[in-house]
Amino acid sequence: MPMRRILGGLLDRGVAPLLLIPSVVLLVFILVGPFFYMVWTSFTDLSFALPDRTGSFLGLDNYRRLMRDDPIFWGSFRLTLKFVIAVVSIEFVLGFALALLLFHFIEHRRLVLTALMVPMMLAPVAVGLIWKLLLQGDFGMVSYYLREVGLLDLRSALLSNAGAVMPTVVAIDVWQWTPFVTLVMLAGLMSLPREPTEAAIMDGASALQRFRDVTLPLLRPIIALVLLLRGIDAFKEFDKVFILTGGGPGTATELLSIYTYRVNFKSWDLGYGSTCAFMVYLVVLILCAVFYKAVYWSEGRPTGARAGAP
Amino acid sequence: MSRAWTAFAVAVILAGVLIALTPYVWILMTSFKTRLDALADTPVWLFTPTFEHYPDVFLEKNYLPLVWNSVLVATLSTALSLALGVPAAYVFARHEFPAKEDLFFFFLTTRMAPPISVVVPMFLLFTTFRITDTPLAVILAHSTFNLSLVVWMMRGFFAEIPREIDEAAMMDGHSRAGMFVRILVPLAAPGLAATAVLCFILSWNEFLYAFVLVAFEGRTLTVGIPGLITPHGTLWGQVAAVAVVATLPIILFSLLVQRHLVRGLTFGAVKG
Amino acid sequence: MGVSFTDVGKVFADGTVALDRFSLSFEMGEFVVLLGPSGSGKTTACRILAGLETMSSGRIEVNDRDVTGLAPRDRNMSMVFQNYALYAHKSVYENIAYPLRVRKRPRPEIDRLVRSMAEMLRIDDLLERRPRQLSGGQAQRVAVARALVWQPDICLMDEPLSNLDALLRLHTRTELKRLHRELGTTFVFVTHDQEEAMTLGTRIAILSEGRLIQFDSPRAIYRAPATRFVAEFIGRPAMNTLEGTIESGRFRASRFELPVARPGSRPVVLGIRPEHLVVSDRPTDDGIAFDLDVVERVEPETLLFLRKDELSLVARVMRDVGDWEAGSIAYLEFPRAELHYFDPTTGTRLD
Repeated sequence: MPMRRILGGLLDRGVAPLLLIPSVVLLVFILVGPFFYMVWTSFTDLSFALPDRTGSFLGLDNYRRLMRDDPIFWGSFRLTLKFVIAVVSIEFVLGFALALLLFHFIEHRRLVLTALMVPMMLAPVAVGLIWKLLLQGDFGMVSYYLREVGLLDLRSALLSNAGAVMPTVVAIDVWQWTPFVTLVMLAGLMSLPREPTEAAIMDGASALQRFRDVTLPLLRPIIALVLLLRGIDAFKEFDKVFILTGGGPGTATELLSIYTYRVNFKSWDLGYGSTCAFMVYLVVLILCAVFYKAVYWSEGRPTGARAGAP
Repeated sequence: MSRAWTAFAVAVILAGVLIALTPYVWILMTSFKTRLDALADTPVWLFTPTFEHYPDVFLEKNYLPLVWNSVLVATLSTALSLALGVPAAYVFARHEFPAKEDLFFFFLTTRMAPPISVVVPMFLLFTTFRITDTPLAVILAHSTFNLSLVVWMMRGFFAEIPREIDEAAMMDGHSRAGMFVRILVPLAAPGLAATAVLCFILSWNEFLYAFVLVAFEGRTLTVGIPGLITPHGTLWGQVAAVAVVATLPIILFSLLVQRHLVRGLTFGAVKG
Repeated sequence: MGVSFTDVGKVFADGTVALDRFSLSFEMGEFVVLLGPSGSGKTTACRILAGLETMSSGRIEVNDRDVTGLAPRDRNMSMVFQNYALYAHKSVYENIAYPLRVRKRPRPEIDRLVRSMAEMLRIDDLLERRPRQLSGGQAQRVAVARALVWQPDICLMDEPLSNLDALLRLHTRTELKRLHRELGTTFVFVTHDQEEAMTLGTRIAILSEGRLIQFDSPRAIYRAPATRFVAEFIGRPAMNTLEGTIESGRFRASRFELPVARPGSRPVVLGIRPEHLVVSDRPTDDGIAFDLDVVERVEPETLLFLRKDELSLVARVMRDVGDWEAGSIAYLEFPRAELHYFDPTTGTRLD
């Protein structure tokens, strides 16, 4: 009882911000601390595989190695970049189109959304598993029908074909995340004020003109948000590719996160692995910053960042 | 003209729904198919179901503890994030202090950290403190994204409650703390529930942290899935059963928060 | 030539009847006001005329052309919305120019029309600004400019002044009248403010619960309200109404009695406007004693709230009644020429 009164009294005296301390402490311990530890480790030669490498300082050696001697890293980087661009653009176009159709022509949106949402609510590992089964060469259901339609050779499988595997992974990601884009864009469309569109109708604009001159500009902050969210998540992609292909065949689907995983937990080269991990983090950070600046600058603060209420 | 568009829209949406649901329906079916049916050359759509895979994998192969671990980890990480995040959200919603928005931005960035970058040092750190291979490690790891989710979502929900209600409650005799506990939190209860469910879902579905930080004892369901896929051969019926148990509860749960989903997934930038 | 609504009905999906056999016709060039309380159907009628809503039954003709099925852009009408609905991402210039661009007018013509319209509305110095940099009054003028720049036949306005403060509202009323005079466009103006309606309209259509009650000039509505509802809705303070009976030349309401020049015996609602009551602090021949409850001085007039038993009346007096105080007795006369009679059940005017 007296404890509560003390706390209550404290709050009343304007030290409420102290309530933030536990959260910040936790995050510092779990995230910020490890982050700096990672940065430190990236300058060392720590390895769990080689007993004599216990983390002695290496200066910039790891970074030099990354920049000059690791074509696999950069190959993976380029691959990941291509993956992100492919995935985000396809999902955006498809998702937006679906949202528009739903918004303008469909009555029972709730029901449809519930069904469409299933792919994105599944654990990404499970998604990987499901499609691994569907694309299995001998008895995969999708493989079978692809063969029937003539798109696939007898007895081959998409996931073991170095040329086809990446597009397949892209397609699976599109399957999983397009509903997310649809959901967000639909919410955006529904939140738009009705009047500017009616004003445009009265001004004589056709449906296409209204879309271009009123709807799209008003949706700009939300579009930026969706692209940012999907872009960053696509860059971090790990779970389902890990299960689907493990990065293979060869390195055909070895995204940055998978490569980093391999260095750290297969080769146990933790020093260099931290260097890779740090690079990945930097790239994501830069992407975020660039995007945030772009939206901030062009539109005023994005819809969500108004002070006082996200 | 609009009729043709409507027909087109319905056709496209129907196709979309089919594409979205069929893969999941397939894995559901597979979990009830005999080995023969599951591995048949030609896909089998009508079959006599068998329930053998579920007890086989959960009892004989002892996968039941994994279910328990998933429940444990998801529940506790949600609880932890709520316990710390809800008061923090209240502070952001109702109080002013220097560098407030910068601190808020800090919370946002924690959610954006790529797990692969963070898990490496986390693994090293936890090994040092000897909490690797315990559920605690995963719970703490999951709070990196759940905590910021709670702070973001709940700030919005609290901000929607007019300040006048706080003031009225305090005029009625509550202290600030009492007002928070007895008035504000109950009013924000629907948002709180939605946030909690979302945290649970994110934690339950998570893979990388759980995979790296735990070797055997504290494995969650998601981590159990790769274990059943071996180069020597995969018991698809059993894997499917695990996948179903790993996903079905979440699908049902997500129906509960459907209305608030957009808000949670977009940092509250778009109202659900 | 002109606009006519014929038996227009509108029922919404949830069953609410917004308009019920609404018929109205007026000439081009008029300034028609649709007046009524909320839920009266006035906005619905306006939106149906615009083509933004469909009607459940009936017909609308503009200049002898049936526009019932036509899309808004084919009706040669423009609209000013209550919260202006400006395009937030476009400049003021681009906002005004938009209807002209959509109609693919040549650029020099667009420029000329936009600038002359901006000048007429005195916003020519704001052309480069964005909507969020404008005050309410400025934004509203941009909305009006956008609606008039392409010279439509009819300009519809849905409560455009409701979001302005009182002073600005008065100001803008005068501006709108000036525009009407200078441009000759037909205006259809929706409002719930009776004072606004009385000042702006050439004719006022009063709606209640989806029906047209009276369509007349302001003067006619004021002097000969068609129903009790109109009588009480127009004028501030509202007309005094007393429920009672007429019998052998006398009106009786509880212990109040008044000689009236009406034959027959029937229940009746008697009405008299506050400014028509003759008040004196000394007894007169025809004066009836009332208790003076409250004296409200709103220079240059004074409102007297009077009571006799259960009857309450308001009188409006324009002269100085400096020393009159609450609690004293006042003597009221009811000039026969200023009395109105309404049927107690239907509310219609009795002549």
